[in-house]
Amino acid sequence: MKAVPILIAAVAVVLIRLGLRRRRTSSRSRPDRRRTSSRSRPDRLLTGALGRVHLGNTGLVAAREIHERIRSRMFRAVTLVLLLVVAAAVIVPTLHSGAAATTTNVGIVAGSPSLRTELEVLARSAGVKVDLVSVPDDSRARAALSSGQLDVVVEGGGAILVNAPVSAADASPAARYVRAVSQTLGVERAFARAGLSPQQAAIVSRARPLPVESLQPGKTGRTTSEATALLGVVLIFVVLTQYLTWTLMGVMEEKASRVVEVLLATVRPIQLLAGKVIGIGAVALAQAAALVAFAFLLGAAVGSSLVRGTAPLVVAATLVWLVLGYAFYSWVYAAAGSLAERQDQVQSLVLPLSAPLIFGYLVSLIGVSSGNVSLLVKVLAYLPPTAPFAMPTLVGFGEATWWQFLLSAVACLASTLAVALAAARVYRAAVLQTGGRVRLRGLIRRSTI
Amino acid sequence: MGGPLELDGLTRRFGPVTALDGLSVTVPPGQVVGFLGPNGAGKTTAMRALFGLTDLDDGTVFWKGAPVGPSERRRFGYMPEERGLYPNMLVADVVEYLGRLHGMGSLDAAAAAAVWLERLQVADRAASRVETLSHGNQQRVQLAAALVHDPEVLVLDEPLAGLDPTGIDVIGDVLVEQARAGRCVLFSSHQLDLVEDLCESVAIIDHGRLVASGSVDDLTTSGPRRLAVRVEGHRDGAWARSLAGVTVSETPGGEVRLVLEDSADSDAVLDAARRAGRVTRFVVERRRLSEVFREAVAR
Repeated sequence: MKAVPILIAAVAVVLIRLGLRRRRTSSRSRPDRRRTSSRSRPDRLLTGALGRVHLGNTGLVAAREIHERIRSRMFRAVTLVLLLVVAAAVIVPTLHSGAAATTTNVGIVAGSPSLRTELEVLARSAGVKVDLVSVPDDSRARAALSSGQLDVVVEGGGAILVNAPVSAADASPAARYVRAVSQTLGVERAFARAGLSPQQAAIVSRARPLPVESLQPGKTGRTTSEATALLGVVLIFVVLTQYLTWTLMGVMEEKASRVVEVLLATVRPIQLLAGKVIGIGAVALAQAAALVAFAFLLGAAVGSSLVRGTAPLVVAATLVWLVLGYAFYSWVYAAAGSLAERQDQVQSLVLPLSAPLIFGYLVSLIGVSSGNVSLLVKVLAYLPPTAPFAMPTLVGFGEATWWQFLLSAVACLASTLAVALAAARVYRAAVLQTGGRVRLRGLIRRSTI
Repeated sequence: MGGPLELDGLTRRFGPVTALDGLSVTVPPGQVVGFLGPNGAGKTTAMRALFGLTDLDDGTVFWKGAPVGPSERRRFGYMPEERGLYPNMLVADVVEYLGRLHGMGSLDAAAAAAVWLERLQVADRAASRVETLSHGNQQRVQLAAALVHDPEVLVLDEPLAGLDPTGIDVIGDVLVEQARAGRCVLFSSHQLDLVEDLCESVAIIDHGRLVASGSVDDLTTSGPRRLAVRVEGHRDGAWARSLAGVTVSETPGGEVRLVLEDSADSDAVLDAARRAGRVTRFVVERRRLSEVFREAVAR
């Protein structure tokens, strides 16, 4: 999670860098003009703050995107739904294991203090909450069992009583506890019969199977990193799909409403495009970071295994590739948005664009869930369109060294730059042309950015 | 007081179509200049070229004697033919935003937005979303967006189209006021009567070329002199037909319209009229701007 403030800082630096490039003409003050706006606008604070540091037109465009997105009902609804989904994902598993919190009532008949201690230790190690009560005799214990006051009765003589038979498949706390107690007490009885001293008994009870080494690496269930990679790949896909569509629709709406005509009379196309991409990207990253932070905080609050069970390195890799993936695709989607005039034209544009995205996602997802990283994933991890999914997968499986990670990131950034320049060309030519779909070939030739 | 805006030899071809064909127009500061021409003459292309919104094959736009670039354009205000504002944004926000894009500070832009919305009589809708406004009110907001940064050059593509008489008065007053303050004001329109009322001068273009330009006074008083004469009991104008160098062009409702050649003397016409009967009307007529326009584009 340390990566989040660093990433936000990086985005801010990019904003400021782009903004400073823009020459500013001094804004003239008008003493005769009074400020009449008295509307209370809390979200103006953000725009105002961004404006005060003089970000130039790119910054202004980005600030407007952030302001308008956050203000929109759509954004608030989507955020709420995502928070609810995260809350459900965190809380529901603990509700299931929350059954473990119910107390198992254990009666002890003629038990020694050491038996009582041993039963408590067993309860802790099995993760079962127990309430131990001493019962004077066997008949009262049986009565309490059949009336349901007690779940288990342990007799000092070595018998364990339950009301109904416990099947091997029963995963209830009481059943797990019964199995643990029966196993441990049985082993102890065997040690005692064999005449082992307590020290000898302790050594034997600590026996562990010898490790078996294999020449080839094997898989033994999913590790924490792999599980985190799975969540990461899904998060990247969900966030990218949502925000790339926003970018595309945003550009298309600007073109369709012709507001772009007024904007481009004073703003350069690359500034308008960059502002849009950065603004929507900042909202996307903030939302993703907020979701992750919310998941962690909620997880810590309800004692979910999520906090303990997450690999920080993979979380960081996920967020880095979320940013890189958005940066790479956002330009492509923005340029595509400038080619369309209507909603129905969007569909035919999005399909070919999203093909590599979906391909990278599916291949990585299959790799993660099968617990086996194929050669294909390793190759895709170095191709910018698929790297945002494949590289975090490799990190999750410990298959990527730091320099491989860096190499892929640099390749992605370099191609992002190339894509951005091409997108700005297409955008400028397309956005100023009206009337139906724009043919790509005619655009590239004579346009400047 | 700024310098003139000059369009110098602008040429733009779209495939086989030549939209601008060496168009040159000068807009002096302090005047409202009407930019006229039939549909497809190239008015909108020329205005877009002013803002770099269409590439030019040839020609340059000068302002104060220097070629116009992005930093000069920040001092220009533009109202495009295809109106466009963010439909979901609040009216005051969108005007303020455009002010800021032209280099204004946040407070200045907000204050100027409020002033212009007030001036254009849409202040009561400042907190509404743009899309909830009527066509006419959106047009006023669009003009506020063009004016918010106090531009030195105003370029307005059909600012009066589709407005009610009140709207026309409000926007017309603003244009005249801006010109009086020393701005260059260029606006296109097909409503020639309004142009005649508002403009000091006009530039008429056709097929991407300038076909007539000058002050409205000069253009409407140029050409052969015209007289409108009414003589009681002589509705057909027979009294004038024998006069040398005088042609009777029409006699609507008993009023005799005469066209005088250079050699003809208007005093002689008056004398002839008085000999025929009691003269109730004798007016030296100006041409309507619409006539000038039709003549110019018919060449």
